[in-house]
Amino acid sequence: MTIEINNFTFTLLYEKALYKHDERLLIIADVHLGKANHFRKEGISIPAEAQAGDYLNLEKLFNKINPLKVYFLGDLFHSTYNRDWHYFCDLIAGFPSIKFTLIKGNHDIINHKKFKEICIEVTETIEDSAFVYSHDLLKTTITGKLNIVGHIHPGTVLSGMGRQSIKLPCFYLTESVMIIPAFGVLTGLYSMDKSAAAKIYAVLPDGVRRIS
Amino acid sequence: MALATENKIADTWFQKNNWQPYDFQVKTWKAIAEGNSGLLNAPTGFGKTYAIWFGVLQNFYAKKKKHYGLHCLWISPLRALSKEIYIATERVSSELQLDYTIGLRTGDTTAKDRAKQKKAMPHALITTPESVHLLMAQKGYNETFKNLDFIIVDEWHELLGTKRGVQVELALSRLKAINPDLKIWGISATIGNLEEAKDVLLGAYAGKQVMVRTQLEKKLITETVFPDVIEKYPWGGHLGIKLIDKALEIIRNSKSTLLFTNTRSQCEIWYQRLLERDPDLAGAMAIHHGSLSEDTRLWVEDALHDGILKVVVCTSSLDLGVDFRPVDTVIQAGSPKGVARYMQRAGRSGHQPGATSKIYFLPTHSLEIVEGAALRHAIAHSEIEQRIPYIRSFDVLVQYLVTLAVSDGFKANDIYNEILQTHCYSSVSREEFDWCLSFITEGGNTLDAYNEFHKVVIENGIYKVTSKRIAMRHRLSIGTIASDSMMQVKFLGGARIGSIEEWFISRLNPGDAFWFAGRNLELIRVKEMNAFVRKSSSNKGSFPSWQGGRFPLSSNLTRVIRQKIDEHYSTGEKYIEISKLATLFEEQKKRSHLPHIGELLIEKIKTKEGYHIFIYPFEGRNVHEGMAMLFSYRISQIRPMTFSISMNDYGFELLSDQEIPLEEALGNALFDSSNISNDIYHSINIAEMAKRKFRDIASIAGLVFTGYPGKQVKTRHTQASAQLFFSVFSDYEKNNLLLQQAYDEVMTFQMEEARMVDALHRMESQDVIIKELKQFSPFCFPIFTERFREKFTNEKLEDRINKLIDQIEKQA
Repeated sequence: MTIEINNFTFTLLYEKALYKHDERLLIIADVHLGKANHFRKEGISIPAEAQAGDYLNLEKLFNKINPLKVYFLGDLFHSTYNRDWHYFCDLIAGFPSIKFTLIKGNHDIINHKKFKEICIEVTETIEDSAFVYSHDLLKTTITGKLNIVGHIHPGTVLSGMGRQSIKLPCFYLTESVMIIPAFGVLTGLYSMDKSAAAKIYAVLPDGVRRIS
Repeated sequence: MALATENKIADTWFQKNNWQPYDFQVKTWKAIAEGNSGLLNAPTGFGKTYAIWFGVLQNFYAKKKKHYGLHCLWISPLRALSKEIYIATERVSSELQLDYTIGLRTGDTTAKDRAKQKKAMPHALITTPESVHLLMAQKGYNETFKNLDFIIVDEWHELLGTKRGVQVELALSRLKAINPDLKIWGISATIGNLEEAKDVLLGAYAGKQVMVRTQLEKKLITETVFPDVIEKYPWGGHLGIKLIDKALEIIRNSKSTLLFTNTRSQCEIWYQRLLERDPDLAGAMAIHHGSLSEDTRLWVEDALHDGILKVVVCTSSLDLGVDFRPVDTVIQAGSPKGVARYMQRAGRSGHQPGATSKIYFLPTHSLEIVEGAALRHAIAHSEIEQRIPYIRSFDVLVQYLVTLAVSDGFKANDIYNEILQTHCYSSVSREEFDWCLSFITEGGNTLDAYNEFHKVVIENGIYKVTSKRIAMRHRLSIGTIASDSMMQVKFLGGARIGSIEEWFISRLNPGDAFWFAGRNLELIRVKEMNAFVRKSSSNKGSFPSWQGGRFPLSSNLTRVIRQKIDEHYSTGEKYIEISKLATLFEEQKKRSHLPHIGELLIEKIKTKEGYHIFIYPFEGRNVHEGMAMLFSYRISQIRPMTFSISMNDYGFELLSDQEIPLEEALGNALFDSSNISNDIYHSINIAEMAKRKFRDIASIAGLVFTGYPGKQVKTRHTQASAQLFFSVFSDYEKNNLLLQQAYDEVMTFQMEEARMVDALHRMESQDVIIKELKQFSPFCFPIFTERFREKFTNEKLEDRINKLIDQIEKQA
């Protein structure tokens, strides 16, 4: 689904990512790579196979969108260095024409040097004339600029006749903030309030629909 | 002059106190002296502790060689109870100046006392199932239990049918292997499957076994509280506050009353309303439930014991435990759901031997009055429920294996052979056991060659934990009671009031008032997992609610209810409840129909919410939930539909946005009881229900680490919800036994599959009466107003979402 924000065109992708047309910029939040292995090292058995889905999904998305730039909006890696780093390097090596940037999240504790080695820039925030990209909400809003963030893992509960309900990942847009859904397979959902000031776009299996 | 028995120590003590032993006590002493293991069935308040205790003492002093170390392990389900046992047994040692030492070990035992016990164990240790497992997680535990001769499991009926009971079974299997001569004794109140209770406890071990039963019975009077005008009493509801004046009258006319409620939030509301209605109760009334701080609860328990409280509003937290002699009256607000629980609660009054227990049943809506009759009938015919033991609890097994790996390590073959002796695991195959081993050593099946999983390692055929951090984390999470993510509620000064679920606090803003622990509190700020509050003078505020399972009405009671409703048609003598309900039953007949025992009533009504069908099997809410899902599935085979499901203990509702093809479904064997597992597995909700069951399983099996309440351990980046594990296992590891267990638990305990099959058989033979209603009937109204709903659908996800959005857009 394609929308205009501050006169720029964005596509909300059902793959749980955001695409900015003018810069051919793909924005992906909260992948949490290495999570399964991190848990497993601590004796908690998340099936390692689950994480493989993330690599496949990233690869498919890069091929489909063919972006010039990719911003990882924080929590790209779940924790410290482990074997997943190599899987990630292999993936990145397959897309030499894309410029990758990691905007640091609270989980991103892998040394920056490692990212530098594979030509990924690491930064806290990126600011341009209309947008500020950060992992979590900025403490102070910058007037006139939209803060694009991840971190929250937003979800929304739909309920309707027959008292049915269903919980889905969503994009959450207000005057000052756009919260994008978590990309990773191994992530949960946080239910967002349905305030009048927010537009909520639910992520369906094959599309995105505005629900409020 | 007391009768001389073969137990000299007992004789001396009974004579000294000028008491006469009961027959069952003498029988038990004899059975123990003869080397039996067994189960003692006796009511509370008749000296069952001493029936066992003097047998243990006699054995100890009959030994020719001096006994070193632990001689008897006494397991009780409650800390408060442990203390009581300690006092009772210590009294014997001190009055007779015996050198038999007794120690207590529970979660409350200080580190200092624990260290002292480790150096020199007392002869008897009174403890809980969790503490026994903690002892087995210590290096050299073999040594500790080497000379153990007795294990006594107190209140076994309370543990049976819980995973704590499974923990006891596992502990027994290990201790029996350390000392094959170990004698096991259980103490149990009367339940419907006492023989099975004995078999589960005593396992498949060699040796003599007996059951000792007593004919002694506790006198019990039960009475139903009636509204003055039945017609004005609400048709739905869960609180019963409308009868508050009647409750106050009972309280005033009694010395000391326990008012039992079914939920913690109902408990808070009753406390508040009583105080508003009768401010004189201030200071003479207290509140007691599981979310209040230990200090508060202990204070209430002591005050009850000392007789300074006129009334305590409580929940199941006071079902067991300390004997409150001053209590002479019990009120049960709302359905107790089972005869056993009702009698147990009644027994909290008139605790002295020979005294009479007095209990009032206070219905929360008019139709519930019929349960008063059912309860009296079931008590009179002593139709007590069964407790169904857990089988194949892989979560508890996985935890146990790690426990053993943390202490001295184990050999797979030994432990496999040991667990086969237990009731719970007797059917576990070697493949399944090996899966559990691989789960703790390799993290389940994995195709990844670079497996970084680390928990239990195998060295020379011994399974052990080598990482200190993993060992510590495991010790902190031993147990089978999963705690929710709880927020501690504290005063600004730091004093802890209790705990409330996080989601409730998260909906409040600083400055908001809420009721908790019987007080009005103002939220000041939230810091980490603490909510800081101060007393507020507001008289408004919301009541927290806690999530927790709702018990279904037992099959014993539902059967009687079906009979009692039919009694309305009889001309003979009726229970008073049935006569009082005459006007309500007439209203039901007028608006719909009052079913005879051979009839099954189905009501249909259309409202602006959609098309409703109400069906009344009278089989308890769990069976209704399963049946509703089954019927939803079968009806949706005719055409794809989505249903919202609601139920209570009497019937259930299917609600849909489309007209429901009921007659067609009835023609297509809607009630067919063959193949129901298959049909149920086809419904999406079974996964939803299994997901909920999986919360406990994940926590017991060590996937989700919560630590003890208040003792949260830092878990860097290793927090994930049980729900996430559930969906990941479902997608990537279908053969995971814990996942399978979640489904099995749903079928056995949630759906009560066996009971559902019986109910379907009955329904097949009943005459179906279908009524189209113009307005809600007394039967369907309480179901319609239930707040908790389930859903069933076989429409495609996308279709459902689009439909939901279309509806939202139409409203906008």
